[in-house]
Amino acid sequence: MSMVYVNMFLAFIMSLMGLLMYRSHLMSSLLCLEGMMLSLFIMMTVTILNNHFTLASMTPIILLVFAACEAALGLSLLVMVSNTYGTDYVQNLNLLQC
Amino acid sequence: MNLFTSFMLTSMFMLLLPIIMSNTQLYKNNLYPHYVKTTISYAFAISMIPAMMFVSSGQETIVSNWHWLSIQTLKLSLSFKLDYFSIIFIPVALFVTWSIMEFSMWYMHTDPYINRFFKYLLMFLITMMILVTANNLFQLFIGWEGVGIMSFLLIGWWYGRADANTAALQAILYNRIGDVGFITAMAWFLANMNAWDFQQIFITQHKNLNIPLLGLLLAATGKSAQFGLHPWLPSAMEGPTPVSALLHSSTMVVAGVFLLIRFHPLMEQNKTMQTLTLCLGAITTLFTAICALTQNDIKKIVAFSTSSQLGLMIVTIGINQPYLAFLHICTHAFFKAMLFMCSGSIIHSLNDEQDIRKMGGLYKPMPFTTSSLIIGSLALTGMPFLTGFYSKDLIIETANTSYTNAWALSVTLIATSLTAAYSTRIMFFALLGQPRFNSLSPINENNPHLINSIKRLLVGSIFAGYLISHNIPPTTIPQMTMPHYLKLTALAMTITGFILALELNLAAKNLKFKYPSNLFKFSNLLGYFPTVMHRLPSTMSLTMSQKSASMLLDMIWLESVLPKSISHFQMKMSTIVSNQKGLVKLYFLSFMITLTLSLLLLSFHE
Repeated sequence: MSMVYVNMFLAFIMSLMGLLMYRSHLMSSLLCLEGMMLSLFIMMTVTILNNHFTLASMTPIILLVFAACEAALGLSLLVMVSNTYGTDYVQNLNLLQC
Repeated sequence: MNLFTSFMLTSMFMLLLPIIMSNTQLYKNNLYPHYVKTTISYAFAISMIPAMMFVSSGQETIVSNWHWLSIQTLKLSLSFKLDYFSIIFIPVALFVTWSIMEFSMWYMHTDPYINRFFKYLLMFLITMMILVTANNLFQLFIGWEGVGIMSFLLIGWWYGRADANTAALQAILYNRIGDVGFITAMAWFLANMNAWDFQQIFITQHKNLNIPLLGLLLAATGKSAQFGLHPWLPSAMEGPTPVSALLHSSTMVVAGVFLLIRFHPLMEQNKTMQTLTLCLGAITTLFTAICALTQNDIKKIVAFSTSSQLGLMIVTIGINQPYLAFLHICTHAFFKAMLFMCSGSIIHSLNDEQDIRKMGGLYKPMPFTTSSLIIGSLALTGMPFLTGFYSKDLIIETANTSYTNAWALSVTLIATSLTAAYSTRIMFFALLGQPRFNSLSPINENNPHLINSIKRLLVGSIFAGYLISHNIPPTTIPQMTMPHYLKLTALAMTITGFILALELNLAAKNLKFKYPSNLFKFSNLLGYFPTVMHRLPSTMSLTMSQKSASMLLDMIWLESVLPKSISHFQMKMSTIVSNQKGLVKLYFLSFMITLTLSLLLLSFHE
């Protein structure tokens, strides 16, 4: 496998680690989610351009759209938590109340 | 070519002169009431000449002066119909108004706006004349609305009093409901007969006249305070006593009856309408007579008496006797106006006391008022050979001998005896016995204005019935032969009413007043009609509109149905279904360890 793909794959793994292992702020996992999306986007674009896979050229755009939606959802959840508790500390989410 | 139309139009035009003069200096000095009164007395004298001409030769005239406009095929012009009804009504109305004007010179003497009062009374008289002499429905409607407006202005004369404003507004609203019927009739006549002139309406044949006649009946119900649209008449007693005497006893409230009398050629053929009219008049006369039995305000008792007599007039139209109804209008004006004027004299002498429970023993200090009140009450109940006898007894006889609704007939007879009962009540409480009023009020009835005006109407109450009924041209022939018990029915019912009421009053005079029975409460609160009808429909319609506009549209359809219900549903479902404890970091960590372990194990597998 060429070095570019390994590089981007490693970036994806880093962001995944960051998503699953964080201390207290919910915001940091959301940021890592964005990082995952970014690395996926670059990997997909480079593969399609290198293999001249013309018909799949719109896939990165679609990926961007869905990623934007999911980011909005994530942020709205963050805002709801922050409205109730004042901060976004994860240890607050122990009551299953809104 | 005689001077018939000249005299009549001169008499009408004279009434306009004080109104025209109201911009000059004459209006501002304190001789203006005297001027108005003399104008009306001269107008009466001049209008007697055409009346005599009519009596001797039967001459009727229609004067069409001025063509105003033609709307496509409808021609509207200013035309006066001087026939049997107008020619006899105008002198009667002018005579009664002359006496009332002289009376109000005494009654409203201390009022600073007395000139404006006389101007309003005169404007009312002019619009009433327009109504009576109208030859087409448009001019009649002008007079109709005019008397309504002047009634509003005059009932609310003391506009600082909240009750007076409410009563004036009530009069306007109830009259408006009647006007709906009037306009329906006008529209029907325009659409089907292309005319608003009486001559053309009466000539053209038409099969089914129910709709316009129902409209006219509704108009009469509104203007003449029949059952269903009657509460405004007792409330109208908030106005000064001359207003009650002129408008709400002699002149304005008979406008509805007059309208039905004008249309008698159409009502003769329609049996349904006659039955409806008969039943409406019968229920009105009984209901208002019952309500009059327990009222305590002397003006309200007389107002209900007026309402009951109006019901009697409508009953007369219902048995197809328009001429008798008209005769009753003319004779009723005399003694009813006099009754109001006597009440006004009593009220002023007792320093504005209107409650009959606080009067009494007035036959010694006020002999003239006492005697005229008693004569007026006797004329009202139909004592033989006074004024009321010539119309009321004829009506009862005709109703007894005609093929009519038995319920309506018996109800009318009961109302006749109740008339005697409440008249006895007025006389007993106000005039007889020991005084119950404050002894410091100076009782004085020696003013010539008061004495002359009541004296004139007194002479009229005694003799007018005889004079009118022996001088008018022959109309429908009254029933000449009947069994003796039918002939004496009216007299017997009246005497029964008198005796019963006198006995009850004398027996209960010194008894303790117990808690009122249900029947008393029904009668005293006017049959609960105003209490229910003024509050319930308005509350219901306002609540319904608030509920449908605000609750239904805004809060339910726009808020609750989609947005709030979705969020509520989701939250409920999620709290029910989930059984997690919210240890997010643990879940993420376990996910990562599983992923790493599986990757390691699977990648090192051969």
